[in-house]
Amino acid sequence: MDGSAEAVEPVGSGEAGGTIAMRAHYAPPWADVSIIGLAGSSGSGKSTLSQAIVNKLNLPWVVILSIDSFYKTLDPDSHKAAFRNEYDFDSPDAIDFDVLVDKLRDLKAGKRAEIPIYSFEKHARIDRTTAIYSPHVIVLEGIFALYDPRVLELLDMKIFCEADADTCLSRRIMRDVRDRGRDIDGIVKQWFSFVKPNFQKYVDPQREVADIIVPRGVENHVAMSMVVQFIERKLMEKSTHHRAALKSLDVGAQSEPLSKKVIILAQTSQLRGMNTIIRDIDTSSEDFIFYFDRFAALLVEQALNNVPFLPATITTPPGHTYAGLRPRGEVSAVIVLRGGAALETGLKRVLHDCKTGRILIQNSVRTGEPELHFLVLPPDISKHEAVILLDTQMSSGGSALMAVQVLVDHGVKPDRIVLATYGAGRMGLHRLTTAFPDLTVVMGNMTRDVEERWVEKRYFRC
Amino acid sequence: MSAQAKVAPTRPVGPDYRAESQKPAATVSTPVDFDTVTVLPQTPQLIALLSIIRNKNTDRGDFIFYSNRIIRLLVEEGLNHLPTVEHTVTTPVGRPYDGLLFQGKICGVSIMRAGEAMEQGLRDCCRSVRIGKILIQRDEETAQPKLFYDKLPEDIADRWVLLLDPMFATGGSAIMAVEVLMSRGVPEERILFLNLIASPEGIKNFATKFPKLRVVTAFVDQGLDEKNYIIPGLGDFGDRYYTR
Repeated sequence: MDGSAEAVEPVGSGEAGGTIAMRAHYAPPWADVSIIGLAGSSGSGKSTLSQAIVNKLNLPWVVILSIDSFYKTLDPDSHKAAFRNEYDFDSPDAIDFDVLVDKLRDLKAGKRAEIPIYSFEKHARIDRTTAIYSPHVIVLEGIFALYDPRVLELLDMKIFCEADADTCLSRRIMRDVRDRGRDIDGIVKQWFSFVKPNFQKYVDPQREVADIIVPRGVENHVAMSMVVQFIERKLMEKSTHHRAALKSLDVGAQSEPLSKKVIILAQTSQLRGMNTIIRDIDTSSEDFIFYFDRFAALLVEQALNNVPFLPATITTPPGHTYAGLRPRGEVSAVIVLRGGAALETGLKRVLHDCKTGRILIQNSVRTGEPELHFLVLPPDISKHEAVILLDTQMSSGGSALMAVQVLVDHGVKPDRIVLATYGAGRMGLHRLTTAFPDLTVVMGNMTRDVEERWVEKRYFRC
Repeated sequence: MSAQAKVAPTRPVGPDYRAESQKPAATVSTPVDFDTVTVLPQTPQLIALLSIIRNKNTDRGDFIFYSNRIIRLLVEEGLNHLPTVEHTVTTPVGRPYDGLLFQGKICGVSIMRAGEAMEQGLRDCCRSVRIGKILIQRDEETAQPKLFYDKLPEDIADRWVLLLDPMFATGGSAIMAVEVLMSRGVPEERILFLNLIASPEGIKNFATKFPKLRVVTAFVDQGLDEKNYIIPGLGDFGDRYYTR
């Protein structure tokens, strides 16, 4: 996968009537994550070096994944041995490479991965997991980061961290006493019975596959800069690809009709009257907010016509029956920040207690590419019958595509998503519905292809 | 009204892009033949809202919240009937927008007590709107509606009036309220009667008597019972909103 949109391929749209919709592939920038492997002896400074790389990159999408998280849960005998410091944690057998490879493959495919948490005090995995989602770079660090051939295949850069044995031992003693609740006798016993022999047998040979060997860890500024430059170049390439992928969704934007699932609010005199007030640069903030909230409530009412309903026969107080409808299941909302939050008052007028997730997507000042900064979704979102995705404006469609992709990655099928937006341009709509033909869009107004995000500025007054 | 009209129409409800087989079926508003009557679009969401407020098991909190949602839709639709003029403004991105400006002043008039339940929805759409009140009750002796009280804006003759009463059964009180408004100089064509549920009988009475007055309703039910209650209706709106 190279992060670009592949050629447009025909796919059944899944809607009744069996129409053939043209569907294009959209790859978010976190698909094809770059993975840096960082191996070296215990105490050679891998963690410090990883941390230094992350700090130097200073980007929110770089995560450190420690192979220590993938220690196997011990059987009762090994568990006892571990507490006597007689279990060999420094052999590759102690690591669950199958799970590691699974998780790395998920991440490489842009999916969410639940990473186990290993407790060194208890020598067992604990019940919770840590979720990793949408990183652009992962630093995989651990003594066996370059050990398993399946892992090597997934790595974009392989680093071997070198330090002399005295340094390693002293660092290990300090760390295990301070962070892992061990005593010095046990640590030294472990060092000579396991760590040292395993280093010679398994760890040291990983140099052979390394792209670079870094002596002196973080103090090695030349090596640090090389690594950081390599990652920065990779990210630039990815950003270029992502923008090219967005462009490639433009084919036919002006000539093809809009998707049937794009619904524009009826332009009644009342709606046009509200629009006139909302769009007038001379409207006071009080009026702007009042009329925008009113508009937003209508937009959400219209969006809700697209969620699934079931027949429901009810009885009225006088005892008559009425063949009505009820929603098939839970409807929740996801707000694309910051713009979508301007629709929240309208949302709450209509769905006063719906679960509401939030996603912060911002366009990079550097590249103009949308970037995912923050994400909290209802934990059971994949079970909801419909998710109303709210944003005020859509021009290029970049952030809407990303937001929909985030929902899809969290188990929400595109045909359950209704994007509600104040205004959208033809280009963005085309991109979005080409990549996700089953998505419904409900919008207040058709706008120009490129429009500054003025609505949220007016609404939040900054 | 003929007896055949007592069969309520049932049909699939849903957005156009869905096939008929994918739309759930529900009873929709009974068709009416008068140009002055506007029935809200029978969307699945509206039907679901009506199902909630009709349901005898719905508690008062939900009854209030969901009827307010329908009332707002009624007000939004009602306001579409007000006169406008073309008006071009400059947008924050510096482009012209060919819009509309509303002409004419409005006021609300609620028929007490149930009509007052619609005032919140009106205020949600029209801030600081003037609201008059009319109290009409059935005279114990004659069984005819009788005007007990009214308090209306002084300049009501110059305004468009949104007359509010949620349940439109025979229309007896509404007819009397319109007569009060007309006696204060409000022309018939400047009155909009907003209600949630109407009966075909009430609509016919009204449209015959006031051919220029506009009615906006969410739903026309199948008919009236022998006591002139709407079938299937939703019970006593005022009781469910205020006291039950």
